[in-house]
Amino acid sequence: MMLEIAIIVAGVLMVGIAIATILTRSLLVSVIMSGGVSLLASLVFLLMGAPDVAMTEAVIGSGLTTVVFLYALSRAKQPDDEDAAALASPPGDDTDGGQP
Amino acid sequence: MAETVFLVAVGLAAGALLLAGIRFARGPWAVDRTVALDAMTIIATSLIVAFALLAGRRIYLDVALVYGLVGFVGVVAVARYLEGGL
Repeated sequence: MMLEIAIIVAGVLMVGIAIATILTRSLLVSVIMSGGVSLLASLVFLLMGAPDVAMTEAVIGSGLTTVVFLYALSRAKQPDDEDAAALASPPGDDTDGGQP
Repeated sequence: MAETVFLVAVGLAAGALLLAGIRFARGPWAVDRTVALDAMTIIATSLIVAFALLAGRRIYLDVALVYGLVGFVGVVAVARYLEGGL
């Protein structure tokens, strides 16, 4: 019973975060959330009984892909994209309603 | 008896994963999402360990080990990018 609940929670969370990944406008947030999607995917793989697939997914998806995407993002950075405005103001002063 | 404890631990970890995932999906700043990703990694590691004890298979503990190491690397990379260094 609890295992089914864990599988359902991880699966629903994975699908919701994947939809939020393609709906967001900031590239940095998309990269972070795709890392979270692959993390939850490897958890679902493990709970369904495939530990080798889960290990590969955790290494490739959550580790390597995030680092490579962030490196490419920092190399291809333009001064007028959305992330520059999001990174310029610190998280403390919430002037524009919290949305980056 | 021990099986009941492990089942309750899996359920509690699933609830904590749900709460951290809601913050991960909603968090307005990238910093919130990074911290929520770190919390989700730790919660998922504990869930995997409880599931390994429940299932009685030793290879699941290796997955938990890889999970902890790789999640640390990902969060450090994101934090380094937010700092402006990467």
